Amino acid sequence: MKSSSVHLNLLKSSELLSSSPVRLRVMLPVGATLACAGLALWWGILFTQLVLAKTQAQAIEDDLAAKNKAHAEAIQKRDLARELKLQLEQLEGYRAGVRAVGAPLAKLAEVIPLRVQLKELSFTPLRAQVLQPPGAKAPLFGPTENVETQKLVIAGLTTKETPVVSLMESLEDGFEALVTSERKINSFKQDSAEADGRRLLSFEVEYTMPARRFAK
Amino acid sequence: MNGGVFQNMAPNARRSFVVTAVLGTVAAVLYLFCVQPGEAQLLRERRRLSDLQDRQARTNSDLKSSGTVKKDLDDLESALAPYRAAMLVPLLESYAMRAKSLLDPLALGAGLEEVGYSDEPFRALPLPKPMPRQLHTRAAVRVTAKGSYQQAVSFLLRLEREYPLVSLQRLDIAAVQGSPAAQSVTFVLEWPAKGGLTRK
Repeated sequence: MKSSSVHLNLLKSSELLSSSPVRLRVMLPVGATLACAGLALWWGILFTQLVLAKTQAQAIEDDLAAKNKAHAEAIQKRDLARELKLQLEQLEGYRAGVRAVGAPLAKLAEVIPLRVQLKELSFTPLRAQVLQPPGAKAPLFGPTENVETQKLVIAGLTTKETPVVSLMESLEDGFEALVTSERKINSFKQDSAEADGRRLLSFEVEYTMPARRFAK
Repeated sequence: MNGGVFQNMAPNARRSFVVTAVLGTVAAVLYLFCVQPGEAQLLRERRRLSDLQDRQARTNSDLKSSGTVKKDLDDLESALAPYRAAMLVPLLESYAMRAKSLLDPLALGAGLEEVGYSDEPFRALPLPKPMPRQLHTRAAVRVTAKGSYQQAVSFLLRLEREYPLVSLQRLDIAAVQGSPAAQSVTFVLEWPAKGGLTRK
């Protein structure tokens, strides 16, 4: 014989308990409490770190304020040293370009042959410095190149060519401060002047002088 | 609809829901008004602290090197001293006048006559990089005289001995017609001198 059982469910749905041992109605507030506690802890840590950072910053600011005067003086000295160093560099450039030719000019008088009479001894003029190049908005404070070259022109009268050749040979040695080996005979011609009843020859020789280099 | 669900909840569940909602709100408030601004503030403070630490490190390093800088300054001052002593400064607003006061004894000693002085255009010196604030220049003065070649050379030798930083920019010795012993002599001499300022 078949038996059947009757199952009565008199519980409301809200009264049903979960079969899980962890109840949601307990866990939700617990989770929320833990979240609040975690956030509060996080905030606390942040606050502590902030206070620490502020304290540290304040200590550094106090330290900087105490060193402010000495530091300003140190900076001023450092800037002055930098400025003086640059000034010295420019002046050392000047010194490097100083031309002292007294001694070779004195020696020149000793090597001029008897039959040569100097009429002129001159350095050619320097080229004008271009401190306002085309298209430049403002004048330059200094030249773009640091080398200057000039020529030494020796002009005179002689009776024949050999004394002039002798003079040029003499200038080949011991006159390095005054002339280089680069030279050009500009003219060698009959002159209207006379000596001992003979027409004299005029000559003009041009030597390139050692470059003045305005750099250390 | 939600109200119905809430009404049908068991008292315990309803309490749990309310507590969770309140705590959730507290958590949200904590995050939005405390944690997040705190994070931002801490970030700003750390940046400021880092800047301050950098400044402090630079300051300490500057102060530490100030002893060396003082020595450098002394060395530089002594290196600059000969240049400063050699600089041509104007007399009565004229460089030529100053040159006259310096060179007349030398010209006289060398035997040059009819010595005249005039200002020549200055020439700029090449610039170091970076540029200094105070520039220096080549002050030029033209000296004209009458005398023999030997007297002119004697003047130059005396000049080079007395003023080693004076440079001969130009020389022109030309014979004078009818006077073989006396030539017309022109020197253009250069001195170091103070120039302009590159910045105020």
